[in-house]
Amino acid sequence: MIHVERLCKSFLDYQRGWVFAVRDVSFDCRPGEIFGLLGPNGAGKTTTLRVLSTVLKPTGGHAIVAGHDVVAEPQAVRSNIGYMSASTGIYDRMSAWELVEYFGRLYGLHPERLRERMEIIFDWLKMNDFRETLGSKMSTGMKQKVSIARTIVHDPPVLIFDEPTSGLDVLVQRVVLQKILELRDMGKTILFSTHSMHEVEKLCQRVAIIHKGELQVAGEPHELLQRFDQPDLEELFFHLVDRADHEAAMAEPAADRPAGARNVGSSDQPDLPSLPH
Amino acid sequence: MNWSNLYVIFRREVLDQLRDRRTLFMIFVFPILLYPILGYGIIQATVAREKKPRIVVVVGAEYLPTEEPLLSPGGNGFNPGLLDPLQDTGPLLVQPESGKGPWGTPEWREQAIRNGTASAVMVIPPDLPRQFREKNDVEIPILYRSVDEPSQNTYFRLREILDRWKRGIVDARTKKDNLPQGYAQPIQVKGRDVATVQEVQGNTWSLIFPFLLVMMSLTGAFYPAVDLCAGEKERGTMETLLISPATRAEIVLGKFLTVMLASVMTAVLNLVSMGLTGIFLAHNRAGLAMEPTQHAAAAAGLAPPTLLSALWMILLLIPLAAFFSAVCVALAVLARSMKEGQYYMTPLYLVCLPLIFLTLLPETKLNLFYSLVPITGVSLLLRALIMGDYATGGRFFLPVMVPTVVYAWMALRWAIDQFQREEVLFREAERFNVGVWLKHLVRDRQPMPTGGQAVLCFSLILSASWFLMEYMAIQGIGANLAAVAAGQFLILFPPLIMAVMLTSSLRRTLRLNWPAPRYLLLAIAFPVALNPLVNQLGHLVEQWFPISSIIKQSLSQIMSESPSLWVSVGVFALLPAICEELAFRGFILSGLEYRRGTRSAILLSALMFGFLHVLLSLFQQLFNATLLGIVLGLLAVRSRSLLPGILFHFLNNALAVTQGHWVHGLEAAGLASWLYRNPEEGLYHGFWIAVSLLVSTLLFLYLWRLDRADRTAETHGVAPVL
Repeated sequence: MIHVERLCKSFLDYQRGWVFAVRDVSFDCRPGEIFGLLGPNGAGKTTTLRVLSTVLKPTGGHAIVAGHDVVAEPQAVRSNIGYMSASTGIYDRMSAWELVEYFGRLYGLHPERLRERMEIIFDWLKMNDFRETLGSKMSTGMKQKVSIARTIVHDPPVLIFDEPTSGLDVLVQRVVLQKILELRDMGKTILFSTHSMHEVEKLCQRVAIIHKGELQVAGEPHELLQRFDQPDLEELFFHLVDRADHEAAMAEPAADRPAGARNVGSSDQPDLPSLPH
Repeated sequence: MNWSNLYVIFRREVLDQLRDRRTLFMIFVFPILLYPILGYGIIQATVAREKKPRIVVVVGAEYLPTEEPLLSPGGNGFNPGLLDPLQDTGPLLVQPESGKGPWGTPEWREQAIRNGTASAVMVIPPDLPRQFREKNDVEIPILYRSVDEPSQNTYFRLREILDRWKRGIVDARTKKDNLPQGYAQPIQVKGRDVATVQEVQGNTWSLIFPFLLVMMSLTGAFYPAVDLCAGEKERGTMETLLISPATRAEIVLGKFLTVMLASVMTAVLNLVSMGLTGIFLAHNRAGLAMEPTQHAAAAAGLAPPTLLSALWMILLLIPLAAFFSAVCVALAVLARSMKEGQYYMTPLYLVCLPLIFLTLLPETKLNLFYSLVPITGVSLLLRALIMGDYATGGRFFLPVMVPTVVYAWMALRWAIDQFQREEVLFREAERFNVGVWLKHLVRDRQPMPTGGQAVLCFSLILSASWFLMEYMAIQGIGANLAAVAAGQFLILFPPLIMAVMLTSSLRRTLRLNWPAPRYLLLAIAFPVALNPLVNQLGHLVEQWFPISSIIKQSLSQIMSESPSLWVSVGVFALLPAICEELAFRGFILSGLEYRRGTRSAILLSALMFGFLHVLLSLFQQLFNATLLGIVLGLLAVRSRSLLPGILFHFLNNALAVTQGHWVHGLEAAGLASWLYRNPEEGLYHGFWIAVSLLVSTLLFLYLWRLDRADRTAETHGVAPVL
């Protein structure tokens, strides 16, 4: 359902020249599974997901989402995905119902079908008591629920969650994760990015660890632990990050990099990933 | 374009704006409150000023004659017979003083004026009765202070009163001496105003209305645009919207239409509120028990424009509002937050204000140049239409409307363009450093220039040419061959330097390729085929918008000072062909093609080309230059070479420069009458013009279809080689 092959995204920064945000990233994500994209802040997770959601154009490689190429058929890709991130806001001057209805209509849902879908979703997310509440008056939990409702209103086969729990309190986090699990059980293809090991352990069937724009390793968590002989995901993560930094330091003078191209954050220390709870 | 998406977005944005208290206040409440309060305030201030009595000290009042009295019987006012009931508003209080007291000293009198005890002091000389008897000339000094407005007004009123008094005295004397009436007044001047009622009404409005209409339509577009674009980014909803199936064009159009609606609504409601306040005040003034003529004057000044004028205003307002809305949307999407959006709007106001202020000057008249200037053209046309000057209105309607619509369309394209750009939509804060940035420009050069660099190049050419002309004007150098050549080199340098510094492939930027032979053939066929059409168009333009005789003279003077025909051909055909082609079809067109459709790039470069000709030589060249610019642009894009364009340009100019010579040749051969209906001006017979139109169109269509597919082989290298 999601097929990513040697995906690259670089951009021109006037201070650093051409910068790779994502480099040669490949992975697959199947229906009925949650695929985790684990990495520190600035690793390139958001850029990868933005390319998959077609708002950014890749500078190399290709990606197929729900059977459509992200470059050739962006419109078809967008119709078949739901995208949510912690930073996605909701409209202050629209009620929960209006907002979900607005996006439902943009997705081309027939009014009757939209109404049915919305009733089901509002029941499922227990949103009926704040249907008419304006965005500006909602609590963070309510807003996240509206965002989930907006993401799935058109019943897309592919769902992309970009750190959907960051900055949320534990109660809201729990609801969001619970709903993602339920969506997986409905057979959706789910791509889930996070910097929290705990969430990966709880949700993901398979995980890819991404650091400095490059994919370090991908596979099922227990299989990865065995392969690298690490006791838990956290240790595995630090091991891979150290290894990547070491390799980068060794490869710095190597000639295989295009002139002027650098990886993101080569000089900055990435934020430490949060510890499992 | 999915119209349903467009409608859904438009509807949401409008509802959103209607729920925003700030927008509602700006659009609906503010104008309703502002004008009545403003109007009431002005009336109150005027009334208060008019009611305040002015004190006139008459020193030596005892010397005034009793027959033909200047003062009223009580002595504390002027003789009512000498006051003009229509003009003399507000009482003048007379304070008679004896010339023997302190008022007899000039210092005392001056001091009284300075400290405001009196608005004016009139000094009656003691020998006045004797001089009157002897019919001698008498001087009556009036002291006043010109920097003090009430004092100056009092002085003017006093002069009128004394004039009437003088006339009365003269009348009495002529009667007494049995002289004819014309003895003292040989000439009587009677002015008759031919202004129609609409013109009188329109005059007040025509100055204020266009100004307010334009200001309000800009203000009305400003806030919603920032809210809809920068605000959407700030709230984090922009990304969600971009990931929906709606295309960027649908999103931009939805937002643009909302902003435009707000802009039109703000302008119209402001006008309605101002008009109603005007009517109300006019009636109210009439109710303040003044003379009927005064009522008419006040009503004429304040009455709203006629229905026809109002319709004109709304019709003209729409493209103007579209222009402002598109510009505001394009600027607002650059901003990451509402606060940043406000910063971007300040330069917009600074650019627009002088253009609007121009229309406040009564001497600014609509002409072809102004009709091309964004904002100013529309405002001046509005002024003409409000005054009921339908002759000007009709003549300039298209010259104003077409550019305005084109500007609005270009601004809208720009806005859509902005929405396609990742670096605009996902811009992050960064520290700017000029040195690092310049280094980046040179280090990260791309094969071809960007659109921004193309626009910069054009601006550099424009300003360099402008400085050259200013320099020549200051030095008193008239137009001559050397100046024309220097102007061409100034067109050449900016693109050449920029191409070397900012791009990595001079060959691709300036299209330095060898073209396929068919393009060279086309480049020869085109100017010949176009010649009848170009001459006819030039003639028509000159008929509509005549060239002044002074300019014609200086043009023929430049031509005549050329030592030989070959020099003329070199300066007027070869040099422009090389310099202008390298600039406009080389650097500028390459830059405009960057991430833009070929069609709009060609059109834009042709408009720039046309505009340069307006600045460099004549406004009348705009149409021909733009038309040729389109053909030249297409030729350059299709052939991927500059050479056919240079050849075309050279032949086209050379045909014009040598026209006189070869027409003479044709006349000698007896062929001229077969081709021309007017050989002197190079005007062909209708048949040839029709043939020219047909052949040129066919050639254009042929060129249009040529080599379209292989264009993709040479797309811009945005991404680095991976």
